[in-house]
Amino acid sequence: MAGIKEIRTRITSVQNTQKITSAMKMVSAAKLRKAQTAVLQMRPYSEKLKEIIENITSASDDITSTVFSEQKHSGKTLLIPISSNGGLCGGFNSNISKQSIYFINTSLYDEFSRGNIEIFSIGKKVRDLLKTKGYAPNRDETDIYSHLSYSSASEIADEIMFEFLKGNYNKVFLVYNKFKNAATQEVTVEQFLPVASQKQDKAVKQNNYIFEPSESTIISELIPKTLKLQFYNALLESVASEHGARMTAMHAATDNASVLLKDLKIEYNKARQASITNEILEIVSGANALRG
Amino acid sequence: MQIEIITPDKNLFSGEIKQANFPGTSGSFELLNNHAPIISTLAKGTLKLIDKEGKILTFEINGGVIELLENKIIVLAE
Repeated sequence: MAGIKEIRTRITSVQNTQKITSAMKMVSAAKLRKAQTAVLQMRPYSEKLKEIIENITSASDDITSTVFSEQKHSGKTLLIPISSNGGLCGGFNSNISKQSIYFINTSLYDEFSRGNIEIFSIGKKVRDLLKTKGYAPNRDETDIYSHLSYSSASEIADEIMFEFLKGNYNKVFLVYNKFKNAATQEVTVEQFLPVASQKQDKAVKQNNYIFEPSESTIISELIPKTLKLQFYNALLESVASEHGARMTAMHAATDNASVLLKDLKIEYNKARQASITNEILEIVSGANALRG
Repeated sequence: MQIEIITPDKNLFSGEIKQANFPGTSGSFELLNNHAPIISTLAKGTLKLIDKEGKILTFEINGGVIELLENKIIVLAE
């Protein structure tokens, strides 16, 4: 059995760790709420945009295809894994790198074997994880999270769309954690470009809109907007998932610390009692020796 | 008529107005009450609203799209 002093030191250190983990849990909970509001705030915008596009496409039939829905045969395939900059959030980041590698080795295997894959990682963690696994990203972006807004996200999206139009990329995929609830995230692979043409099934009410300029010009302006929005949405979902994952991980760590503390306290009390018993024994035997 | 200005980050403005002036991609235009339904794209510029009391409100936008239907304007701005 370890000495009393050692146990006491361990108890203090576990208590300190527990304080840190429970504080981190609270911070994550607050950040999660903020991230969730950001996701919710974007919703009216994206719904309205979708509605307007539906209105236009229902008014005239053959303008659903744009430059962004072209199937290209030259160029590379771009994979964009989205992770966080900080750790301590369970499997959040390693799930992204695992899914990226799995996706490269299954669905994109043909392109991969021809060396036609490029990786553009977002967040420090997935960059480092992929590097150690031998899939070093060709580009990375790490400081977007300090000032995440629609405009900063759309700058990156713009750049990717421009490269796509130039023919440097034939396909672009996003890999990110979709926010289900605070405890669960779903790793999602989403095709960003080319845009899958939307099939209209529900009839939209005709309102005889005036289109200014023409329908096709409006559509060609709106499609890039939906793409930027999709990219921004992926980032927001990832941020919300990160805080959710960290909250859960820190909750588990705090619970573990409680269990550990309980065991340590029992051990400490046993050791304390043993030393008292020892002392009494010594006194008694000493007294006996004097008498004898 | 009602107007709502929405950006992806927040709801910029919503309320009752008399007149609205937009920087359209093919020239600036004005909407008054009972205008026919219209969808149009906007360029970078200043959006000017005149509310019920005649007060002028301005917003700088980087482009966007507007929809007007039954005296309700929705501006998706950037």
